[in-house]
Amino acid sequence: MSAQALKGHLDGMLLAALEDGPRHGYAVMEVLRAGSGGRFDLPTGTIYPALRRLERAGHVRARWSEEGGRRRRVYELTASGRRALSDERHAWQEFSAAVTTLLGPHRRPATP
Amino acid sequence: MTGGSGAGPEVIAAYLDEIAARLNGPARARRDIIAELRAGLADASDAHRSAGLSPLQAARAAVGEFGDAARVAEGFRAELAAAQARRVVLPLVTAGPLIGLLWVATAMTGGIGGRPVPPWHWDGPPAGARPVVHLAVIALATAIAGALFTVAATGRFTGRLPGRPLVTAAIAAGGTAPIDLTLLVLFAVQAAAPAGIAAFPAGAAAAASLARLAFTGRAVRGCLAVRAVSRPGRSSP
Repeated sequence: MSAQALKGHLDGMLLAALEDGPRHGYAVMEVLRAGSGGRFDLPTGTIYPALRRLERAGHVRARWSEEGGRRRRVYELTASGRRALSDERHAWQEFSAAVTTLLGPHRRPATP
Repeated sequence: MTGGSGAGPEVIAAYLDEIAARLNGPARARRDIIAELRAGLADASDAHRSAGLSPLQAARAAVGEFGDAARVAEGFRAELAAAQARRVVLPLVTAGPLIGLLWVATAMTGGIGGRPVPPWHWDGPPAGARPVVHLAVIALATAIAGALFTVAATGRFTGRLPGRPLVTAAIAAGGTAPIDLTLLVLFAVQAAAPAGIAAFPAGAAAAASLARLAFTGRAVRGCLAVRAVSRPGRSSP
């Protein structure tokens, strides 16, 4: 799936990747990759600006953490981020239900 | 293809240098971004090594996975513009009320019997001072609006407000200059008048306005410089 197709849904997916607990940028990418069965071909370098945008919006908070001699920026959902994730989920369910109705198996119109 | 173990870090360092050269904004924010990317590339490289690649192959795979350096740097453009803008407006928003209070206190103790006296009624101001002060107050109101808008557009309302943070931050900074210049002129005139002026708070207010003038001069230049060099295809951050 191309980056263009993911546009508009990236923020929600990033928030979802952090739902189970704090993660650093590369771990977030691994969650997206694993969760999509490898279908997302988003360049990993584009994840980091998106995470910082979410941080500025108050949806995640970041802190530096050192583990195994490597300093990483770890992101964590805030209460605002959880609300935003819930809203994204709701919007996506409505959207996908509508698309499924339109693009699902063709039903012949009822004949009078 | 195999590679030596020493070449992997060089591949990553060269890639990070390429990104760093394209970042424009506060030095600390740029260092922070590069440090985060460096850790991410090391993680990616480790993952590729675990999959059986040599150090050089793993480093190249990590760089390939992160994507084109120009595109990665471009992704941080809005972030750095926001950081530059906030670096300008947050000190203004923090110090502004204090400077305002110092001038109000100065007006209250302007050497005219301790009565509340606005600066344009001090002894010896030029005849046309009042309209100039009014215009400067309008500029200050614009500056306050610009600063508050910038704080909102680069913070909680990121993505929800139309944002040209470097422009609004420059307006916020530049808009404080007329009031500071006007008050400093009035201060100098009053200080030279026979009634004189109290050393405190007038002196402190004048020093604070001078400091803000120096800050805003640098801030406006900084905003315009970052905006000028980070406008590919004439789209502004």
